[in-house]
Amino acid sequence: MIIQILFIFASLVLLSGCYQTESTITNNLLYCTDKAPTSFNPQVSHDTASLDATSHQLYNHLIRIDPVSRRFVADIATRWEVNRSKTEYTFYLHDNINFHQTDYFTPTRHLNADDVIFSLQRLLSASNPYHAINSQSENYFFNHPLTNIIKDIIKIDDHTVRILLTKSDATLLANLAAHYSVILSEEYATNLLQAGHPERFDHLPIGTGPYQFKNYHNNIIRYQRHQNPWQTPANIENLIFDVTSNSTKRYAKLLSGECDIIANPALSQVEQISQNPNVSLSIRPTGNVALIAFNSKSSPFDDVINRHALSNAINLNTIIQAVFFNNAVSTDNLLPSHSWAFNPRTLKQHFSPEDSLKSLQENNFNFEQTLRILAPIKKSIYNPNFYKTAELIQANWANIGVKSDIILLSKADLDLALLSGDYDIFLTGRSPNIKDPDNIFRPLLSCKVNQIEGNTSQWCDPKTQALLDSTLVKSSFIQRVKNYYQLQELVQSQRIYLPIAHLLRFDVFNKNITNIEVDPQTGISLYKANKVPPLNKTGLQ
Amino acid sequence: MLNFLLRRIYLLFITAFILSLIAFTIDHLTVHTFESENAYSLYKNYLSDIIHGDFGTSLIDQKPMLATGLSAFSSTLELCIFAFLMASTIGIPLGILAGMFNNHKIDYSIMTIALIGLALPVFWVAIIFTILPNAIGWNMPIDGNISPIYEVPAVTGFLFIDSLLVTEQYQFEAFYNYIAHLILPASVLAIFLISEIIRLTRHAITMVMKSNYIKAAHTKGLSRRQIVYRHVLRNALPPIIHQLRLQLSTIISFAMAIEIVFSYQGSGLWLFVSIQQGDYLALSSALLIISGFILVSSILIDLLLVTISPTKRKTLYADQ
Repeated sequence: MIIQILFIFASLVLLSGCYQTESTITNNLLYCTDKAPTSFNPQVSHDTASLDATSHQLYNHLIRIDPVSRRFVADIATRWEVNRSKTEYTFYLHDNINFHQTDYFTPTRHLNADDVIFSLQRLLSASNPYHAINSQSENYFFNHPLTNIIKDIIKIDDHTVRILLTKSDATLLANLAAHYSVILSEEYATNLLQAGHPERFDHLPIGTGPYQFKNYHNNIIRYQRHQNPWQTPANIENLIFDVTSNSTKRYAKLLSGECDIIANPALSQVEQISQNPNVSLSIRPTGNVALIAFNSKSSPFDDVINRHALSNAINLNTIIQAVFFNNAVSTDNLLPSHSWAFNPRTLKQHFSPEDSLKSLQENNFNFEQTLRILAPIKKSIYNPNFYKTAELIQANWANIGVKSDIILLSKADLDLALLSGDYDIFLTGRSPNIKDPDNIFRPLLSCKVNQIEGNTSQWCDPKTQALLDSTLVKSSFIQRVKNYYQLQELVQSQRIYLPIAHLLRFDVFNKNITNIEVDPQTGISLYKANKVPPLNKTGLQ
Repeated sequence: MLNFLLRRIYLLFITAFILSLIAFTIDHLTVHTFESENAYSLYKNYLSDIIHGDFGTSLIDQKPMLATGLSAFSSTLELCIFAFLMASTIGIPLGILAGMFNNHKIDYSIMTIALIGLALPVFWVAIIFTILPNAIGWNMPIDGNISPIYEVPAVTGFLFIDSLLVTEQYQFEAFYNYIAHLILPASVLAIFLISEIIRLTRHAITMVMKSNYIKAAHTKGLSRRQIVYRHVLRNALPPIIHQLRLQLSTIISFAMAIEIVFSYQGSGLWLFVSIQQGDYLALSSALLIISGFILVSSILIDLLLVTISPTKRKTLYADQ
């Protein structure tokens, strides 16, 4: 009897030889990510994990940015027109766009102007029944650009929508291509409202994108190809997001064939991964920038000489090595080098403690005072370790005899401290929502923006404000570039902020996966992803 | 026989009562507070809920604790059974060899291997095993119970059976995938079990080999193989089973630690994730499910021993 059982068991073990790794099954794609999305609607969730899981997989936008030409191209809209004063944009919609048909919703009509109006009004109008659902209204700062720009949205006919602007604004198209401007189903929203469960709207998603939501259990999100697609169907039939928080395990799963793509490998592993011939490493610069903000409203940083002197005492290279493990691009600019408005000829920060000390002494700097370094307690996407950054700055300043205290605060206390203005420098950063440079400069420099909204240097200067405002209404692209060049020179010459580094986004995938589009701002797109049997495993097919 | 059963069931009730008190205390220290002055009535309600299968609802996914706990524990059991079979396949023959060649080079070699197996920390071996497949170029999954590609509905809760119920959709692919996922974690658990089984088998075989009826069998002219099959194994097995019964809770604990390393969706990972997310109700539920299983299985093993071993039948009488 025992021998019989053992024989059956041994046969079972041998049967596992029939096991095919997931990387050989070409109609499935496994994307292993580090975090679970907080919801399935990028209107209410702006974190990278949520954007990756939703933005390009489940939804479409009115327009999008072509990944190759970097120009705005039509998506749900077939084309658009702009009036002479650039205050009215008319969008003409496709007339055969199907929403996803799932277990929980069966659409009875194609996408039309009502869906576009509903989706944008949810962001803009407090009278929209979904405006406050799932804390959407708390996302005000994310949708802020749109809120200011759009005066009204008018339905011309079922397939034509006109957006009226308060004034001419060059960032409208970038806003409409941003992650939060997805087009949702108005019919589905009404059904849920009638059923008394509007909160399900963002968790059981319905969109028009290449994949439709299937289920989400035990940290596994399953999507399937859109059953009635209006675009060319996706190559992959089943798309699976597997949440594996441990970065070493994610990489091990990629190597064992249990994942096809992994997001965010550990920064300490990037070098090893880049040397592995079996996988491809995608490195994309993000618009995220880590910054030091100087409180320009109070002494000693109200004096530009002190701002320059104390920033020249900070060794940024050490910060990049110790905090970012050399996996961020050091920068002297608020804009990343791939931005169309990037000015390469701005004043550079020059690390020199001797010059810094001399300059402070000449300026009668009070070496008895203790400076307050304020930083968030939790890490963020633009700085993995605020405390270490603060410690390095503190040590640099101590070398020239400047004393400082580090104050780490949680979100609520931090907001209070920022509003009270009781700090000398603040470790922060910017994570732009849209590709327009205005999205970086306005929150950091505008007089109309407070410290919580982004202006942590409390900078308010008529010349800067005029430059910011005039650039928005400029119709000439060349003039906009010139204005942004001036703004960058101003930031550096006045040393309003000290940029530390631009962050990179890393994705690793097996060599048999192609056509992945990674957009650091709106998330990964797996629509055109293609999977072929791995060369060395073709025999298993 | 009835006396024996009654005595065992009586013992079971006393132990279950103590366990329910511990679970109640954990439950009320972590999840609830003793706001009401009458702890007795609270306990009475708690006991009534448990008897009716209501262990509470998870804070994480709003699902009943009992169903989640049982489903997780069934995965742990599968891992233990698979590891046990794996260990028996290797451990019993090696133990017999060591016992037959007592104090011989073969015996020393086997016992050295067994001792190394006992000395290695399970958690460390598990981590090494997650790196192993890639290091030796062996395509083996290292995470989870089954690939997310296969959607296997929980019918029995045992993936071994459930993965065979979806053959219409996936043929045997889901089943092979499940077995492949089980091999590495089960191997780690088996390393500990093999050492234990070798040690126990060797000891039992040595004892049996010294007995007079074996000497009699030798003089009867039976071959070595005949002696082993007819007399030695039959008599050596009961003490091995009896000893392994005592190791049951250790095996389950080791399995739970291994599950965390391999993200195997069993009770270990369930508890780990629940505690991480502050769902402390899982603690008392797991205590009741796991210890309940150990209690019931101890009685069943006792019954099995009584059935297969004549010497153990003495325990049927109340004075033994």
